[in-house]
Amino acid sequence: MFSSSQFEPNSAFSGGGFMSSQAYESSSSTAKNREFQGLVPVTVKQITECFQSGGEKSGLVINGISLTNVSLVGLVCDKDDSKVTEVRFTLDDGTGRIDCKRWVNETFDAREMESVRDGTYVRLNGHLKTFQGKTQLLVFSVRPIMDFNEVTFHYIECIHFYSQNSESKGQQAGDVTQSVNTTFQGGSNTNQAVPLNPVVSSQNDGNGRKNLDDMILDYLKQPACTARQQGIHIDEIAQQLKIPKNKLEGVIQSLEGDGLIYSTIDEYHFKHVEL
Amino acid sequence: MDTSSPSAFVNGALLRRYIGQKVRTVIQVIGSDTGSVVGKSTDDLQIVVRGPSPTPPLTTYLEVIGIAESDNSIRAETWTNFGNTFDPQNYNELCKLANGEFKHLFI
Repeated sequence: MFSSSQFEPNSAFSGGGFMSSQAYESSSSTAKNREFQGLVPVTVKQITECFQSGGEKSGLVINGISLTNVSLVGLVCDKDDSKVTEVRFTLDDGTGRIDCKRWVNETFDAREMESVRDGTYVRLNGHLKTFQGKTQLLVFSVRPIMDFNEVTFHYIECIHFYSQNSESKGQQAGDVTQSVNTTFQGGSNTNQAVPLNPVVSSQNDGNGRKNLDDMILDYLKQPACTARQQGIHIDEIAQQLKIPKNKLEGVIQSLEGDGLIYSTIDEYHFKHVEL
Repeated sequence: MDTSSPSAFVNGALLRRYIGQKVRTVIQVIGSDTGSVVGKSTDDLQIVVRGPSPTPPLTTYLEVIGIAESDNSIRAETWTNFGNTFDPQNYNELCKLANGEFKHLFI
């Protein structure tokens, strides 16, 4: 029913793609006065209002979106088809009136316009243009309405589009910044336990969880730990990583077997193998 | 009468707000008299519509655009057949929205 939006890549919405402007707005930093190529359902009042507030600008701005293609539903009045190549009429949708022009170049266009008479409810899709101070609609599609639930639907859609855009404008500022894991290096040379930031490094394995091995290695690799000659006691590792000792024992054994750590003064002290 | 002025979406209950002004509503015809048609609004209230009768054939639902004369009567200017499959509840909700939170989009 609506012409497809050629703008949004993810316009799988049945509303013709203009709803996905929400997704776009949150990702772009300047959402005002963007070019928006989708088809926007509007009432004539919205058009006349935004024109008055905008003045003679290049594009009309509604809800912070610069738009050109609109969809309207209303009654045809004052149809004038005296000229062969163009048909003019006024659309009255109950909220106001707007002048419309339709170029008739092919028989298809002519036939489409024949079915449109004064007093017919139609669905219009067209291009907004301001000419000599007046807003006009260059219509590229006219269809008489058969099921009048479409009239109700159109106005509800206008409300919906309007409220969607007012909402997303309010949330726009809250861009979520990615929290970055930073490595924390404790600078203590004493025998006290090295204060450890719970999020030590951004090193992750394939499934995104930190392995116990990596956690132990990371801890032992810290300069404060490597500086200690006698190594780190397993109790301390358990305390710092907040992992029960019994879980660590098995892992430490395998790390030792792999040659990544070695025991120092006794079987409970370990150091990272430095190459 | 100035037909270019905007018309407010009303149901039976909202009609009283616009007495003397142009309104539009959809009614279901339940009876007719000479010079007037009695209809049921989308919120099940009775509305009398005076003025030129709509030309038959008529469908179940009719939209009438005209001037509100009282809280339950309208002087019609335009009639439109709205078919037999019209959903009055949707229209009723639209009337409420168009007169409430989103009034500035319409009037």
